[in-house]
Amino acid sequence: MVKNNKVFLGALLCSTFSFFNVHAYAVVKIDTALLNKSSKNYALRANKPKQTSLQKSKMSDTLLQDSLKGVLKSNFVLKGKRDSIQIALLRNVPNLSVQQILKGNVAGLFVQENTGEPGTEQSMIIQGASAPIFTKRDVYSLQPAVYINGVYLIQDNPFAYDVQKYDYNRIGPATNLLANIDIDNILSIELIKDPVALAKLGPNASNGAIWITTKAAKSGLREISLNTYAGIIPKNHAQTVNGAFENKFRAPFYQNYASAANYSNYASFLRDSTNLDYFGKSNWNDLYFNNTPIYAANLGITGGTERANFRFYGTGMRNASNADETSLDKYNAFFAINMLPFKWMTVSSFLNASRMDRNRNKSLRDRFAEVRYLPDFANPLSPNKANYQLFLDEYNKVVDDNRNNLLNGSLSLNLKFTPNLNFTTAVLFDYNEGLRDLFYPSTIMDGVNFVSGFFGYNQRFALNNVLSYQYRLKNDHVFSFDLGQAVQTDGYKYNYARGYNGNSDFIKINVVKGDPDNANYLNAINNFYLFRYTDKMQASLMSFYGAVKYGYKDLLNVSAVLRRDGTSNGQPDNRWITTPAFSIDWSLKNQFLKNDKFFNALNVEASWSRLAKIFLDDRFGAGPQYRTEYGWYEEPTIPTFGGFQGISRPYNTGWVGYGIKLPHVDRLNLTVSSAMLNNRISGAISLYSKDDKNQLLNIPLSAESGYASIYKNGMDINNKGIDLLISAQVIKNDKKLNWTTALNLGFNKNQVKTLPDGLSELVIENNKLQVGKSVGAYWLYVNNGIYKTDGEVPTNPGTGQKLAFNGLALKAGDPKWVDYNGDYNITDADKQFIGDRLPKLVGGWNNNFTYKNFDLNFHFLFAVGQSAINQFDASRYDFINRESARDINSVKEITSWQTSDNLKNYPIYNVWSNVIPYRADQDLFLESASYVKLRSVTLGYDLAQSKFAEKAKLGFRRAYIYLTGTNLLTFTKFSGTDPELINYNGIYSGTSLPIARTFVLGVKLDL
Amino acid sequence: MRLKTSFVILTIVVTTCANFSCKKVLDVNSTRLASEENLWRKQEDAKGALIGIYTLMRTAMVADNTHWLMGDLRQGDFVSTNRSDLKAIIDGQLNASYPVMNRITNWRRFYSVINAASLFIERSREIVANDPRYTRINNEVDVAQARALRAFAYFYMCRIWGDVPLLITSHDGEFTTHPRTSQDKVLAFATSELITATKVLPFRYGGTDPILPGLYYGSSWTTWNGVLFTKLSAYAILAHIAAWQNNYLDCETYTKYFLDNSLQLNGDGSFGVKFITTDELTENVNAYSPFAFKRAVQIVGFGFEYGNGEATANGHIEQLTLAKPIILKEYPEIFVPKDTIRKVFTSATDNRFSIDPLTKLYRTNYFTNYASEQPIFSKIKVIGEAQTSGNFAFFTSAVLFTRLEEVTLLRAEALAALGMDNDAATALNQASALRGNPSFSLNSGVNIIDAIFAERRRELMGEGWRWYDLIRYNKLKKNNPAFMALIDKGGIYWPVSKDVLNANNKIKQHPFWN
Repeated sequence: MVKNNKVFLGALLCSTFSFFNVHAYAVVKIDTALLNKSSKNYALRANKPKQTSLQKSKMSDTLLQDSLKGVLKSNFVLKGKRDSIQIALLRNVPNLSVQQILKGNVAGLFVQENTGEPGTEQSMIIQGASAPIFTKRDVYSLQPAVYINGVYLIQDNPFAYDVQKYDYNRIGPATNLLANIDIDNILSIELIKDPVALAKLGPNASNGAIWITTKAAKSGLREISLNTYAGIIPKNHAQTVNGAFENKFRAPFYQNYASAANYSNYASFLRDSTNLDYFGKSNWNDLYFNNTPIYAANLGITGGTERANFRFYGTGMRNASNADETSLDKYNAFFAINMLPFKWMTVSSFLNASRMDRNRNKSLRDRFAEVRYLPDFANPLSPNKANYQLFLDEYNKVVDDNRNNLLNGSLSLNLKFTPNLNFTTAVLFDYNEGLRDLFYPSTIMDGVNFVSGFFGYNQRFALNNVLSYQYRLKNDHVFSFDLGQAVQTDGYKYNYARGYNGNSDFIKINVVKGDPDNANYLNAINNFYLFRYTDKMQASLMSFYGAVKYGYKDLLNVSAVLRRDGTSNGQPDNRWITTPAFSIDWSLKNQFLKNDKFFNALNVEASWSRLAKIFLDDRFGAGPQYRTEYGWYEEPTIPTFGGFQGISRPYNTGWVGYGIKLPHVDRLNLTVSSAMLNNRISGAISLYSKDDKNQLLNIPLSAESGYASIYKNGMDINNKGIDLLISAQVIKNDKKLNWTTALNLGFNKNQVKTLPDGLSELVIENNKLQVGKSVGAYWLYVNNGIYKTDGEVPTNPGTGQKLAFNGLALKAGDPKWVDYNGDYNITDADKQFIGDRLPKLVGGWNNNFTYKNFDLNFHFLFAVGQSAINQFDASRYDFINRESARDINSVKEITSWQTSDNLKNYPIYNVWSNVIPYRADQDLFLESASYVKLRSVTLGYDLAQSKFAEKAKLGFRRAYIYLTGTNLLTFTKFSGTDPELINYNGIYSGTSLPIARTFVLGVKLDL
Repeated sequence: MRLKTSFVILTIVVTTCANFSCKKVLDVNSTRLASEENLWRKQEDAKGALIGIYTLMRTAMVADNTHWLMGDLRQGDFVSTNRSDLKAIIDGQLNASYPVMNRITNWRRFYSVINAASLFIERSREIVANDPRYTRINNEVDVAQARALRAFAYFYMCRIWGDVPLLITSHDGEFTTHPRTSQDKVLAFATSELITATKVLPFRYGGTDPILPGLYYGSSWTTWNGVLFTKLSAYAILAHIAAWQNNYLDCETYTKYFLDNSLQLNGDGSFGVKFITTDELTENVNAYSPFAFKRAVQIVGFGFEYGNGEATANGHIEQLTLAKPIILKEYPEIFVPKDTIRKVFTSATDNRFSIDPLTKLYRTNYFTNYASEQPIFSKIKVIGEAQTSGNFAFFTSAVLFTRLEEVTLLRAEALAALGMDNDAATALNQASALRGNPSFSLNSGVNIIDAIFAERRRELMGEGWRWYDLIRYNKLKKNNPAFMALIDKGGIYWPVSKDVLNANNKIKQHPFWN
């Protein structure tokens, strides 16, 4: 440690991003409200009296700042740029998950919350997609790493989808594991996009990182904080309809195109208009939507001496939706302790345990997707309340227990050998398990009951060591060196069994023979017909790195990182990769504008890094291989023939050869940040270019090889963009009105740079990748109206044949698809790139007004430029094929008995045509899904500051009451219920629960 | 002092860390797959790889109900209730763009069989050197099965697509594209492979067969009957390839060998082969149904055994044909209209279906709810654990290519085609003896070929034959100009999926479908 650093030591350590959670929290008392600030500012204020007004600190919170800049830390510290979010304001919003907390609050992050069902999985994409998202499992490999106090949290692995027929939900509880962190225990959340900062974190963070620091143990007088809120989610209003509406909708199709046979196959439930089940009152919504309470309470205690101190935090909460009685209950206990047994030794440790129980929806689609057994769909659920009640009564016999237990923590040891030489070692672990017990009675399953049980765990264990040394040459040159080494081992496992046709609806669990010597070991005892699945995967990562940082006066900082990582998921001759990173940071302010009054700070920084990307699956490390995969589209998992298990090449999932290399990501950032006018305006603009190179793509092989596909390196995808943060204190009047405003914007442009084998384009089922185009672009037929008569269909003058769709001549009532190549046959060659799945611009706008002890905050969220395929409409119009297909898409949910004024109208095509006029892969159903949302409004009042309270001397440091409303307004042209409720692959299916409007009243007490 | 302590601790920590050997940490053996180095070493590997080929072949035939969608629908007896895609197939609009049609017209799954078989033929002999338990004879028999399966896959594809690319090696790990090969070449290859195989294949596995006595992979004939291809399976396929090529001379030879030796399948504890009664055929009486379980009567067939966890919803004709009152489903997806039933089942004593002229009662072996608008085709109904009705609509019927009655009818066809009408009539009557009909007589005035194909239509309804029978019938009769035009223009073959065309530009769509 260098001299000037000593001054700030205690304070700085608190704000450090210790990779190992070695925070010497113990040393100095700090005001937590200030912790998000740049450490420079922070250091100056650290010894000032408490500034409890949270509003005063948020200005700089949004700044893109290096909170560690110019400061030297004791141990391995994450240095670099990052965006921290205004955590103080977010504490008033009843968010459940990390994704929800971050949504619209930080530049360059796109959060997809595609259902309002509490506790479901959500996606985060930082600075654009680095790979195509065609299926749900593709989303997993794009997720950023989330760290809590330096512990890299392990998430569910997508390998469970191997045994699933439908990918709507992962088997098991499928709960969002990032819902386990409670915002009132969080000190700061930061989004790390800076290349060098990510290089320090290593390949785990190749998709970016989210760095969460919990409130720390600290010494001093015991502090207690108590936060609680209670709220309500008012029921939705639905415009319900019954069979008459549906009949009216279908009438024009029958009038125009139906044959006698078509009439005789008229949907049976719509035939009899005297049937009150379908033509009676449509009031299912009275039971489906409810005014639903939510609540939360938590308690935090910190205290202790300078040599040993602690923090305890406990919470209990319920998050819910107003639809379908869905909810999530969460209990969280956190304990952190710091000890200073010697002056040169710090021991820090924390333990974070949570439990989450989720009440899931009752939708037919999710049920049948789990059951993989489709009963007869001829008669859908009746829209009538009395009938729906009968269904709900039967549903009461269902067992659907979804539980997650999560435990993570670390123990770290920091040794300061000399003031300049530091050694840190830390053990980090994360374990989470998911359990689901499920039983559906025969009464709701066409006479066949169903049971399934799931147990799965993910566990991570890591050991990290760092040696740091600092050296100062004269007073102008400061060097710091880090040498680090880390080992990380991950394990994933699940056991899953589903059983059918049990003896009765009273035995709701699957009892199996427990004797391993019995031939029927694990078979059901005279009961369910069982299918069992188990899978297990392990992965390790070993890393070595060195980092150097050189600082020249207060003008220049140069950093470099060199690391070597080895992964068990790489092939033996290719599992090690060496990657460098550099950055240079120049203070223009100190160089040229030292006396300038306008600029308080002006910095430019350039940063570049390369990082390895690690495979989530262990199959690529093995090279050519044999597996057991004999299923087909409808039955993906049939294991045996004649009772024997075969083994073959992986014909269905793709050939894996030798020579598969680890992909890597190159990032280049150029950032200008500034603070102006006495720090009243601050901003940062960051230009980035991110190249995810040599990525593995599962590309189709010629069918004659027997393989569906082959994994090949060579996909390069570039994301370029601008992240912008501006915040301003528009009105500053300490006594009266203050207005601060903060805007974050993330522009992104995605481009496929190269494809494997130098291909310029590649068709993967219904998608196409083309060099130069966005990876998220849709590839669709272009619809240009309707052929009213057969005569309108153009005829090929050469052959005399009519314009055809994939060889089938078009007729009256068919769509006018555009024949771009003029060969009189509309094929894949005529599909065009239109629209994009991912937005071009995402961002948020936050405004905060304070007047005396009042404050008012409102937060807008927006995403612009993305489109969605409205499959909900496509299947509404394609009712003939949907109902006759008898697949999972034939399901008619109770919620389908409603309409909306926004619904779009489409031409009336011949629904019976073999060209499938209402096919979803045409631009007819492509809609802009851009939106602006007023995500939250909070009105608060701090009683502790009021004259009344001051007189009463109640001893509160803070007594804040607030009223928050969330999801209040949406501005969009999208015709569906909500432009956020779009699946990862860009399809709007209309099956998601609404993201509901919520109102809470809360109290925050600090004692 | 302080420094000293520090360094002691440091040393301890560093040593602990150094103990992690990088290699050890990173050598994680996957438990989810077998790597290249670990296969082709042990006897069990041969068994797994061989079973793998059979499993792939079963998948190829049943995926999305291919066997029935392609065999029973086009110009067949079934009518689609309300599925437009099935209706398009029945009407011969095979280029309609329904997802199911795109999937079943992708021949990739057949090439998986071919690749796995080629790989087995090339690699399995390595095991002989590595594992003394795996004998040369065992290997030769295994390779012969692989050859037979590969040939069968080629024949099955030629029936559907005509010309298909012919690949006779695995090209393991090398991926090149190939154009179509003429159907004659492909079938000549298949024939020669099958002939090679017949020289090695035993009649029975794991029993007292003179070629391969003793347990086969530790199991007896009770385990293996109806599972593996026998010598007679190969002969049955040979006979069909010959018939498909209009080579009835060879067809007659192969079927003769087959029928002369069919009793070789019996014994060693198996159910054995016999001409089965109608109740055995449709009601699983005596557990003799050729669809339930696995049985030696499944000359070429692939079982889905309930007890092995192989019950599925898709991959069985029951998914298309059954409905109330047999299972809970409201309407079947396809059914045989009453008119057709009356036209096909002309005899009043046919115990598959007939109406008693006096009581007006009808037999329900083939059809249930005949009185309704949509009679249920209930000939094949293997529900759950070989039940003939039930709520639990997971089916376990085997996909059956041929059985004794079918081969006998094929022999009758061959004899008739060769002009040996008396022998043909004998074979026809042998095949249909247990169906309750009066014997066919050449004096009846009915053409023998018509009679044979009419019997095939009745006997094999719902077994994936109708469309291919129509082709052979019309090739023999040449009296239907529309159909002959279809044959001449290649319209009898299916288009290939656009996924096939997209992945290999050497494959051209059949001009008929462009």
